[in-house]
Amino acid sequence: MVEEASYPSIQLEDLLGRPLNNIEQKFAPKMIFYKGSMEIPIPGPRVSIIGSRGASEKGLSEAKEISKILIENEVVIVSGLARGIDTIGHKTAIEKGGRTIAVIGTSLNKVYPKENFSLQEEIMKNHLVISQYPAGHSTTPKDFVLRNRTMALISDATVIVEAGDSSGSLHQGWETLRIGRPLFICKDVVENSQLEWPEKMMNYGAMELDEPIDILENLPGNIKMMPELLQ
Amino acid sequence: MKIAQIDFGSFLTYSPYGETDVEKRSRTARTNLKRDEHINIGSNHPLMSDYLAELIKKKLDTLPFASFFNKDSILIPAPSSSLLKSDSLWVPERLANALVKTGLGKDTKSCLQRVRAVAKSSKVSSENRPKVIDHYNSLVVQKILGEPKEILVIDDIVTRGSTLLGAVNRLADAFPNARIRGFAFMRTITNSNEFESIIKPCTGKIILREDGWPLRRP
Repeated sequence: MVEEASYPSIQLEDLLGRPLNNIEQKFAPKMIFYKGSMEIPIPGPRVSIIGSRGASEKGLSEAKEISKILIENEVVIVSGLARGIDTIGHKTAIEKGGRTIAVIGTSLNKVYPKENFSLQEEIMKNHLVISQYPAGHSTTPKDFVLRNRTMALISDATVIVEAGDSSGSLHQGWETLRIGRPLFICKDVVENSQLEWPEKMMNYGAMELDEPIDILENLPGNIKMMPELLQ
Repeated sequence: MKIAQIDFGSFLTYSPYGETDVEKRSRTARTNLKRDEHINIGSNHPLMSDYLAELIKKKLDTLPFASFFNKDSILIPAPSSSLLKSDSLWVPERLANALVKTGLGKDTKSCLQRVRAVAKSSKVSSENRPKVIDHYNSLVVQKILGEPKEILVIDDIVTRGSTLLGAVNRLADAFPNARIRGFAFMRTITNSNEFESIIKPCTGKIILREDGWPLRRP
């Protein structure tokens, strides 16, 4: 248990620095509880690196490589603090001097899985951990589905590195497509004929990820639009 | 396909690769458009679709595509290259609705649907990009009451023009007597040296070449 009874909260719109359109609002939580040292509104661009808790060595290595290239290009790594791919995404960001946001499926005073206690503490101290659940909330499996949708919403793009047909990452994948953000699926997964979901998602707009550089081409610039350029 | 050449108009431009400040900002504008985000204009936060529609309305008399928008124009949103679930973001439809809301066009009819996904142009090599015929073959027109005299196909971004040309041909089968043109809010300027500014209104042509690829000018 992380030692703190309550945490500051903020409306999701304030966290992102802009109102949400009606499509984004559908599954958006009203309030977000947060702990960390990152500025608010949160910086961008932001990319979710997600996938299986029991990922293969190759999947973990791929997650590390993608995260590294994104960090080198000043992208904030977003993930869910789960075992496997998520953990690698956060740890790579920290090791490479980048920034990371953990979107957790429990309240902030809990840690799941327990083995990520020190990682959660590190992210709470030097980066940002957010949750849509208040302290004292009893965690249910559905909370993680809703969390995955929130993660899609705060990310400019999502990369599924490795996932089975029943993986929770698929909830985030479908939500990413629904709100019109780029969704990338790693090549090995697309080519895995045992899996049904990659082809389905590609019919609805997901893209095969050949090179991490492809992600960068689909992100907004970290330079803001100046309204006068549109006058 | 019966139509080998269409007239199109567009309002903004963006540079996919350029590194100047304004080119980077053009990519942020592209993201704002493709997500139909609320944007910060002083203390106001309009949706990008509403903001651009109002801007076009305000400047219409000076814009080269003014004649595209008249009281008889039926606006038909261009489908995305992939399939779309019912509660998903469909930006061209939102743009068409925003235009009609400001009085630009008579009505929106979302009657053109993609029934089979085609490859995204940005994700495949140029020789594997879908041709105009691939777009034409993957689109269907749902019946609507009456035949419009004037149709404007609305898209968010035009790159080569395959989607618009395929869509116009499919609509021409269903509405053989209608005048059909295309309008994209933003046009891709692939060669960074040719990029000038984000606002760069134009009219031009998309031409079906003999090899099945489109040629967009400008």
